[in-house]
Amino acid sequence: MHRTVPSLPLAPSVKVKLINAGFQVASDLTDMRPLQLCKEAGISQEEAVEVLQMLRDDGQPHQQRAATESLTALDLLHQEQALGSIVTFCSALDDTLGGGVSMGKTTEICGAPGVGKTQLCMQLAVDVQIPVCFGGLGGKALYIDTEGSFLVQRVADMAEAAVQHCTLLAEDTEQKQALEELTVEKILSNLFLVRCHDYVELLAEVYLLPDFLSKHPEVRLIVIDSIAFPFRHDFEDLSQRTRLLNGLAQQLIQLATQHSIAVVLTNQMTTRVSNGQSKLVPALGESWGHAATQRLILRWEGLRRLASLYKSPSQMEATVQYQITVQGFRDASDEHRPTPDTSAVSSQLGNHSKRPRTEDLS
Amino acid sequence: MVILREGICPGINEEFIKALQSEDIKTVEDFVSCNPEELAQKCSLSYKALVAVRRVLLTQYTAFPVSGADLYEELLSSTAILSTGNPSLDKLLDSGLYTGEITELTGSPGSGKTQVCFSVAVNISHELKKTVLYIDTKGSMCANRLLQMLQTKTPNMEEQMEALQKIKVFRVFDVFSLLACLQHLRSNGLQKASVGGGSVKALMVDSVSAVLSSLLGGKQNEGMSLLMQVAGELKMIAKDFNITVLVTNHVTRDGNGHLKAGLGQSWSHVPRTRLLLQRVEDAETSSLRTATLTKSSRQVCHLVEEFDLCHWSEERRTSISGKRKLEERSKP
Repeated sequence: MHRTVPSLPLAPSVKVKLINAGFQVASDLTDMRPLQLCKEAGISQEEAVEVLQMLRDDGQPHQQRAATESLTALDLLHQEQALGSIVTFCSALDDTLGGGVSMGKTTEICGAPGVGKTQLCMQLAVDVQIPVCFGGLGGKALYIDTEGSFLVQRVADMAEAAVQHCTLLAEDTEQKQALEELTVEKILSNLFLVRCHDYVELLAEVYLLPDFLSKHPEVRLIVIDSIAFPFRHDFEDLSQRTRLLNGLAQQLIQLATQHSIAVVLTNQMTTRVSNGQSKLVPALGESWGHAATQRLILRWEGLRRLASLYKSPSQMEATVQYQITVQGFRDASDEHRPTPDTSAVSSQLGNHSKRPRTEDLS
Repeated sequence: MVILREGICPGINEEFIKALQSEDIKTVEDFVSCNPEELAQKCSLSYKALVAVRRVLLTQYTAFPVSGADLYEELLSSTAILSTGNPSLDKLLDSGLYTGEITELTGSPGSGKTQVCFSVAVNISHELKKTVLYIDTKGSMCANRLLQMLQTKTPNMEEQMEALQKIKVFRVFDVFSLLACLQHLRSNGLQKASVGGGSVKALMVDSVSAVLSSLLGGKQNEGMSLLMQVAGELKMIAKDFNITVLVTNHVTRDGNGHLKAGLGQSWSHVPRTRLLLQRVEDAETSSLRTATLTKSSRQVCHLVEEFDLCHWSEERRTSISGKRKLEERSKP
């Protein structure tokens, strides 16, 4: 084996002792017995056993392949074409995103309060369950709620609208059959909800996700709404926050790639003052901006809601308009079905609306 | 540090090693740095044997000096310059990416680092017909985008597929997997990668800060060591195999709100050339970017060039270099 000892995933204290004893390459260690290693390096017996166990696991074919496996871009292209994407029911936004929220990537949705981030997340949690014959993914969703803004009644409304939409589209027998199984109860039962109250719970939940995903391989979407909330208050050490967030981002992208799922994160906005001017920018700092693969910024412009794709590896930047209706997240001017006017929306949402009652346009 | 073991040189056997260990001499360095006379007195070994072993070890383990002229000849014959495909960037980089060196791209999110990496990869695999190794740590590798770029270069499907086959993608998400991947490449992976595809001429790591930034700072004591190991592996791969290494890094804001590259001062010495990519404010097309040369051993620093991500091979007519632009900005 060609791994050098300093590059092995072991505790630093153990590595220092191994290096001082003269071991430089992993192949020096493979023929040692635990007691022998213990004596030569001066480490405890448990540590010696751990080191040898790790080397044995590392030498196994599937582990080695994981780090050294390479795909050509051609193979990757075939893989990507086989993966679908999750529609948002707003066709302008779907076009901007290249078909919908892409699988195998992390997407971050930033926006001011009340602009529709949680609505979009709930819509995606419903849309991922649309059966394959209708162009969806037929998968389950995991919703990690840190703010407490998840409303089951709203998801039920969106699910009902989605079922009606599919009913209008059903043509052949396969689709009609799938439609019989698609009910609001089934959609709600395929949505796993986790409530995290602080960042420690969130970190623990993400740590447990690999086990969860191996037990539930049909989960195709993970939503964390929002990732900013637990990290923004009561955090004294900002550099520790940055490190935790970066580690979290890497874990999430690893999950997204290995299991081919879509990970959606919501972020809040903060004000940055520079040169006497203030600007609304996404929260959690400059380095968090590099963490997500795609970034979508939702904002208000007068009475219109706009969504801008700000960062994407494959799509061009664009801004589209959308609206939130009783049925959920939709295109701005939908001529094919009658849209109720917005006063109905605010009365439906009742006192859950975050928009101020009086529109203050300054 | 090489451990003293039996058989590394004739004359060293079990008792020899045990006698030395009783004097606390475990490695070759310890052995050659102590006086053989004193050693012969302290342990029960003959002076002759010690001197003989010492001579053999010294010849085995010394580094040989190489003359500067030989090094220069070697450099001339082995270094290649790979064009990035974009004339403005080539101007900044003094005609392209040099093999044997590490070049770094930094920039804010959405400034185009990944797009530049894609464009360079496509250029090398299609125009220069060489293999590119792409280590992706952020999940931003998108083969569809590579295909899109190739389609603008050539309408021939076969050529597109061939070029795609020359780009090999590794997906690693933490620093230990990255080190395993780099060490595997260094020991035998590169030969395997070049079989059947043309020789490897470029290695890209996008991005190196994603795996390292969570390890630096705080009470962690291993972060710096891992950063330096990654730097060492990249440099050795670049030098030994004559390939060019392109890495991307994130930016942070310092106390005054100015942008600076991530990973700190220690990493800033690792790449030979550093470019900062920025969006152009209030531009008509949103795909315009500026590249600023922040560190270079060949050009004057702070040269700025403008380019368009969409039209990679065309030259921007309106680019003016660093000093004039700085003067214009400082005018009220």
